[in-house]
Amino acid sequence: MSLSRLPLVALLILAACRGGETAYRRTLVDARDRYDPKSLDPALSTDVPTGRAVSYLFDGLTRFSPDAKVGPALATRWDVSPDGRSYLFHLRAGVRFHDGTLLHASDVVHSFTRVLDPANKSGRPWPLYPIAGARDFAAGKTSTVAGVTAVDDSTVRITLDTALAIFPKLLAMPVASVVPAKIPPDFSEHPNGTGPWTLVRWQHDDYVLLAKNPEYFDGAPKLDSLMIRIIPEPSTAVAEFESGNVDLLYVPEADAPRWEQTDEKKALLTSAPALRLWYVALNTTRGPLKDVRVRQALNHAVDVRTILDKLLGGRGRLAAGVIPPTLDGADTARAPYSYDPAQAKRLLASAGYPNGFDIELWLPQDATFARVAESIQSYLAAVGVRAKIVQRESAAAREASRNGKTDMFVKDWYADYPDAENFLYPLLHGANRGVGGNVSFYENPTFDRIVSQARSEQDSIKRDALYRQADSLSFADAPMIYLFFYNELYAVQPWVKGFIAPTIFNGQKLTGVTITAH
Amino acid sequence: MGVLLARRALLAIPTLAGVVIVAFLLLYVAPGDPVLEMVGERADSATIARLRTELHLNESLPRQFAHYAGGVLRGDLGNSFITGRPISRDIAERFPKTLELAGSAMLLAVVVGMSLGVLSARHPGGWIDRGALALAYLGVSFPVYWVGLLLILLFAVILQWLPPSGYGRPEFLILPALALGMRSIAFLARMTRSSMLEVLSSDFVRTARAKGARERFVLVHHALRNALVPVITVLGLDFGSYLTGSILTETVFSWPGIGRYVVNAIGRRDLPAIQGTVLFLSVVFVAVNVITDLAYAAADPRIAYD
Repeated sequence: MSLSRLPLVALLILAACRGGETAYRRTLVDARDRYDPKSLDPALSTDVPTGRAVSYLFDGLTRFSPDAKVGPALATRWDVSPDGRSYLFHLRAGVRFHDGTLLHASDVVHSFTRVLDPANKSGRPWPLYPIAGARDFAAGKTSTVAGVTAVDDSTVRITLDTALAIFPKLLAMPVASVVPAKIPPDFSEHPNGTGPWTLVRWQHDDYVLLAKNPEYFDGAPKLDSLMIRIIPEPSTAVAEFESGNVDLLYVPEADAPRWEQTDEKKALLTSAPALRLWYVALNTTRGPLKDVRVRQALNHAVDVRTILDKLLGGRGRLAAGVIPPTLDGADTARAPYSYDPAQAKRLLASAGYPNGFDIELWLPQDATFARVAESIQSYLAAVGVRAKIVQRESAAAREASRNGKTDMFVKDWYADYPDAENFLYPLLHGANRGVGGNVSFYENPTFDRIVSQARSEQDSIKRDALYRQADSLSFADAPMIYLFFYNELYAVQPWVKGFIAPTIFNGQKLTGVTITAH
Repeated sequence: MGVLLARRALLAIPTLAGVVIVAFLLLYVAPGDPVLEMVGERADSATIARLRTELHLNESLPRQFAHYAGGVLRGDLGNSFITGRPISRDIAERFPKTLELAGSAMLLAVVVGMSLGVLSARHPGGWIDRGALALAYLGVSFPVYWVGLLLILLFAVILQWLPPSGYGRPEFLILPALALGMRSIAFLARMTRSSMLEVLSSDFVRTARAKGARERFVLVHHALRNALVPVITVLGLDFGSYLTGSILTETVFSWPGIGRYVVNAIGRRDLPAIQGTVLFLSVVFVAVNVITDLAYAAADPRIAYD
C-alpha cells in the first residue's frame, strides 16, 4: 500500500468503526488510555500512554515479550565483551522505515544522540546515560556521544562507562526506539518508525488511528488497523465496552469486584501479574520513622491481607520485599510481615513510644488509594499511632514526597523494564533519594554496595543472589509498609482472539490479535 | 453602537492584563513542580536542572513574568512544557469543538427552556407548569457529571440509542449537549415563566387581547419579546457556566475540547498551557459580555447606550 492512499483507507476504516454497529470489524479499538499520548516522538516518552503508542510505531534494538522477557528486535543478536562494558549489536537486514528508507547503523547512533541532545528537551534520557560519554554530551560538554558508533552499515558498537547487565533491557524502553536520521520538523505528528503499525491520524484527546505495516519484519499485524481511543472517565470507558464499541478495557481497581460477580462478565476478564508494587513509603529521615523498630511496628500493625481481599478483590500477592515474584531475584519463600498488633505495640514501646505518636499519611487524589489509606489509618490507630490523612492533588503530593516533606506516602510503582534492579535501585538506593524515586530517603551503604555490585555482575545466578540479598536487607530495615503486587485486570470482548495481557506495558504490540465474526 | 464597542474594548484591556497577572502568579503559588511532571516518576537531577534553565524557571519571578508577558504581547502563547506543541495551535484545534458543544447546549436550552417557560406561564399552576417546575428542580440540583453518567447509562448502555462518548457525527453531540444544557433549561424555564407572567399582566397585553389578537400572537409577539431582556441576561451570564461546565462534560463524554485540555494541563502543571487557555477564555468572556449588552439593545429599544 502506498503512503498516498493511506488517507482514503483511513476514512473507510473510520467510517466502518465509528458506525456504532457491531458488525465484523477489522479494527481493534483499545480503550485502556485515560489521556492523550504526550507525543509520538520516542524522545519525549515518559509515561504509559505515550510509551505504548511509541512501541506500536517504533522498534528498539531489543524488545519485551508479553511475559516481560527481553529479546531481539532491530538487533538480531548482540555480543558482550568479557568485562561487560562493550556491546556489539548486529542489526537485522533489510528493515525499512514506514517511508521506505532502509535502516542503517547510523540511524541508531543518531537516535541515541538525539535523545541525549539537550535541544530536544527529552524528559527521560537516563536509560541512555550508561553509555560512555552520554552524560557529558547531555551536559553540552562534548559534541558527540563517544560510546555509540556505527562499525559498519549493520553493526553498532556501544561502550558503557561501567558494566551494566540490564543494559539490553534499557534499550527496549520506548525512549531508546530507533528513529530515522532524517527527522521532519513535526515528527510527533508524522512519526516514521519501523514498527508494526503506521500512523493514519491522530485526533488529539480523541483517538490515535494506526494501520498495519504490511512490511513489518516480524510479520504484519493480522488486523488492518488499531484505534487507540482516549477516554478520560473510567465509567465512560466501561459504558463503551458494555455497548460493544471498544474491545480492550482496563478494569478500574474499584470496579473489579462488580465484574467478577457475574459469570458472563467474568468470562471476559484476563489478568496478568503486573510489575506494580503498592506501598507506603516511610520517610526514614523524619521523626519517629528514623527508628527501624517503629517502621517494623507499622508493618506489623497493618492487616495487608484484609486490605487486599476487601478493597482489591484479592487480586495480587502480598509483598515481602520490593521485587515482584515473577522476576528473577525475588525470594518467593520470604514471608511478609505478619499482622501482629501486639508485636507492633511491643516494638513501639521498645522504641520509646508506648503511647504512640502523631504522624501524617499522605496520598494523591485517587479513590482506591483513599480507601487503602483510610484502612491503614484505622489499623495504625489500633496500636496507638494517630495518622492524619493528607490528600493532595497528584502533582502536589508527588512534589511534597520527592522533597522529603511527607512522613508516610501511599503510592505505587510500575516497572519501566522487567528487572529486580528497577525496584531496588530507584526505590531504595541512596543515589536516588528524592527525585530519583527513593521517597523513603532510605540510605544503607551495605544495601547500596550490593545493588551497585549486582548492576555490574555479568553472571545472572550471582546477580539474582545479590538482588535477593539486597531485598532481604532492606526488608528488615522496613523503609516502607510493604503492601502488595497488584494483578492488573483487563476486559476483552469475546470476539477478540490472541490478546495476551502484558506484564510490562510495552510488551504487547498487538500483532497477533484477530477479531472473529460476531 | 460603535462608540459602545470602542469603550468596551478599552475597558477590556485592564481586565485582561489583570487576568494575565493573576493566572501567572497563582500558578507559581500553587504547589506542584512543572519540571517534575515533565520528567516522570523516575528522574535524574541533571535533567531536571537542565530543563529548569531552558524553561527560564530558575529566573526571578519578575523576569519570568516579563518573559511571559512579552510573548503574550507578541501574540505568542508559548509551547506546552509537556508536548512541545504551540499552545495557540492546541487552542485552535480544541476551542471550535467546545464551541460546538456549548452552542448546541445553549440552543437546546433556549428552545426547550423558553418553550417550557411560555407554556408554564400560559396556565400557571397547571400540570405543565408543575411538571416543568419539578424538572427545573432536578435540572438545577444534579451536578453535570452525574447527569452525564446517568444519560450514558440510560441512552447508551440500556437503550443503545446513542453512542456513549466520542466526537464526530451529530449523534455524538446529543448526550453531552443535554447534560451541559440541563441546568440552563431549568433556569431558563423558570426565568421565562416569571418574566412572561409579569408581562402578561401588563396593560399592553390586555390591550392586545382586547383588540382581538390571537392568543399565540399575543404570547409570542407581544409578551415573549418583552420577556426577553432578563432571559438574555441569564444566557449571557450562563455562558461562563457553559465553558466551565464543559470541563466536566467533556471529560465524561470524551469530548476533545478545551475544557479537557485545561484539566490535563492543570494536572501536569503545564504552565504555558494553563496560562494561555485562561487568557484565551477570558477574552471570550469579555467578548460575550459585550455581545450580551448589544443584544439587550436589540431586544428592547428603550435601552440605549449613548
